[in-house]
Amino acid sequence: MGRPLIHRSPMPGLGLSMGITLTMLCIIVLLPIGALLLKGANYGLAGIWETVNRERVWAALYLSFRLSLLAAIFNLVFGVLLAWVLVRYRFPGRRILDAAVDLPFALPTAVAGISLTALYAPKGVFGQLAAEIGWKIAYTQWGIFIALVFVGLPFVTRTVQPVVEEIEREVEEVSATLGATRLHTLRHVILPMLTPAALTGFALALARAVGEYGSVIFIAGNIPLVTEIAPLLIIIQLEEFNYDAAAAIGIAMLLISFAMLLVINLIQVWSRRRIGYV
Amino acid sequence: MSDVSLVRTPPRFRSATGESAGTRWALIAVAFTGLAILVFAPLIAVFVVALADGVAASLESLASRDARDAIRLTLTIAAISVPLNAAFGIAAAWFITKFDFRGKAFLITLIDLPFSVSPVVAGLCIVLMFGANSALGGWLVANGFPIVFAMPGIILATMFVTFPFVARELIPVMIEQGRAEEEAGLTLGASGWRVFWTVTLPNIRWALLYGVLLCNARAMGEFGAVAVVSGKIRGQTATMPTTIEMLYQEYLSVAAFSLAAVLALLALVTLLLKTALEIRHADQLAATHRP
Amino acid sequence: MHIEIDEISKQFGTTAALHPVSLALPSGALVALLGPSGSGKTTLLRILGGLEFPTSGRVLFDGQDATGVTVQERRAGFVFQSYALFRHMTVFDNIAYGLNARPRATRPQKAEIARRVTKLLDLIQLPDIGSRYPSQLSGGQRQRVALARALAIEPRMLLLDEPFGALDAKVRRELRQGLRDIHDTTGLTTVFVTHDQEEAMELADLVVVMSMGRIEQIGKPQDIRARPATPFVRTFITA
Repeated sequence: MGRPLIHRSPMPGLGLSMGITLTMLCIIVLLPIGALLLKGANYGLAGIWETVNRERVWAALYLSFRLSLLAAIFNLVFGVLLAWVLVRYRFPGRRILDAAVDLPFALPTAVAGISLTALYAPKGVFGQLAAEIGWKIAYTQWGIFIALVFVGLPFVTRTVQPVVEEIEREVEEVSATLGATRLHTLRHVILPMLTPAALTGFALALARAVGEYGSVIFIAGNIPLVTEIAPLLIIIQLEEFNYDAAAAIGIAMLLISFAMLLVINLIQVWSRRRIGYV
Repeated sequence: MSDVSLVRTPPRFRSATGESAGTRWALIAVAFTGLAILVFAPLIAVFVVALADGVAASLESLASRDARDAIRLTLTIAAISVPLNAAFGIAAAWFITKFDFRGKAFLITLIDLPFSVSPVVAGLCIVLMFGANSALGGWLVANGFPIVFAMPGIILATMFVTFPFVARELIPVMIEQGRAEEEAGLTLGASGWRVFWTVTLPNIRWALLYGVLLCNARAMGEFGAVAVVSGKIRGQTATMPTTIEMLYQEYLSVAAFSLAAVLALLALVTLLLKTALEIRHADQLAATHRP
Repeated sequence: MHIEIDEISKQFGTTAALHPVSLALPSGALVALLGPSGSGKTTLLRILGGLEFPTSGRVLFDGQDATGVTVQERRAGFVFQSYALFRHMTVFDNIAYGLNARPRATRPQKAEIARRVTKLLDLIQLPDIGSRYPSQLSGGQRQRVALARALAIEPRMLLLDEPFGALDAKVRRELRQGLRDIHDTTGLTTVFVTHDQEEAMELADLVVVMSMGRIEQIGKPQDIRARPATPFVRTFITA
């Protein structure tokens, strides 16, 4: 009984393509991740806990996840708005706007990092403006928030855009003929349709922000307990050749982000099942 | 509702499925402002700071030894890791779309895994696997083939973070195109390789180019993972992004931003080519890239 | 060529697409595999073409076991339901593909290939479309190009998967006659899959009625119509 592992077929290249795929997957991705987990296993749960359970580490993890969550929420709202505007409206400059959404994907994080710092530092263009109302952005948590918004910007827009394109006009028209106001239609008909895709984009933006390093460290100020993000803590441990501690924090980050992804995937499955719409 | 006014002023028909003009322009304004602050401003700032002391100073800094070494290393890294990842992407997409097997969804999840791992953690993984402290790394160093703090480590780190790029572009396109054309080639007597070169590759070339573009942009710009594994040794393992960091921390702002401007230009070219592909070859890209 | 199917079965995972079926197709016959979707008719055709491995059983061509013969060596002219024309090649290059794919020793000269392609374009009565791309053709034209491409390799048999499935009624009728003519001039053993009983009855010499991976009846159209062997056949052919 049982399904065969691989369905035999005359299509050529099974051995070669499978060989390349699995070999490279193992060497590049799985074995290194395995090495991290193994290091953690050797260090022991108690060891990991001892490393993580320090004020500085907790502060960094809490900071990373809290600001990532806030940035992802901002991107969720702005991203849906952007997707709607780009698909539904015709206006001069639309194409440029559309292409610009992808810039954070294409611009190296270190470049974004120093550039954002130049803008928001007390002497920068935006920094000066903010300083006038007594608002300090660079070298505070605000700076980190802006960097994380930047790197997560494209995700929600890019996942929601195709869904907006797929919406049938009839659905909106029906809603209107039934007497619903436009706002009611948007809120009760359109928004639920966009929810699964928006959540996917949200999850991707969140995952990206939690692990982000390059664009954040320049603007963050990196003050322990205040603006020190978790990835930086790993680098600090590595520079002190403290591999056990680095691995412990790495595993903690890995586990927390996987757990978050799992939760969001479950929400997504639930909303997809409820709405029956991808 | 505006039913009554519709009768009285017939020319102002309001669509049932659109927002009012005011709302529309307000939303467009929000979109423009948001992107101006978040995207355009940083982009412009790179060039403004780079050219703060004039074009000559900027070019001079790019001609410095550190900058040239960094550019050369970054190009070398990309020239090695991007083709390797493209080869992987093609193989993986072929395996996943041309055959039926159990655990396909799981395999795709594993391929996507690098997207949810922090680049710093990715670098850490490679250090733990191949660093001098590990059994494998120690042996490799003893035999004169160090990986961490050397080029192979940077390549591995770069490949880790760019791992899914090409495969992700190809898989949806190849699913959509189906297997019939390849099967037709086979029934006409062509060998597997011939079918691949003459049927499959021409059909996926634009999607492949699309994936390679994104992969390349990320490969040249990767910072976190490379910072961990490279050791940032000047002239040896300092890539463009890590050199930018070093210059920046030495307060050589024109030099740092000039190098950054080169990478920003690369990003702009990438976006331009990507947009051109989306306009000209939309039918041969993954459905999500069709404008 | 005489085709014999000997106790062929096919499992997809835990579901059986074909229960062991046996069938003999006389040389030069025009055979219809008729049945609803999921009856196993396409699977059987793909096994004949070498595109699918049978789980058990044998295929014999002119009495010789061909079960292990690769798809390339079978020389079965296969026409796909979607036509599967190479979209980045001209009609000419599509038709020449099989000849160009031959090893150097047996590959015809360029001029000879061109001559044969021209002849095939004449045969399908579309002499002037060689430089066009598949996307510039109508459905009926695509179907005929796919047929010409299959014939270019001088196949030993012709296998067609729902050859008229995607066409409207008028074109369908024309092309039916076209297939009949090509079959009669080439004398190739021809097997086509269809779910349309009228099409099978009108076109084929021999009709194989299939359902749920089993053969319900084999016979000449008039015999099947006169004496349906099972209740399934009776309801299916009167539907």
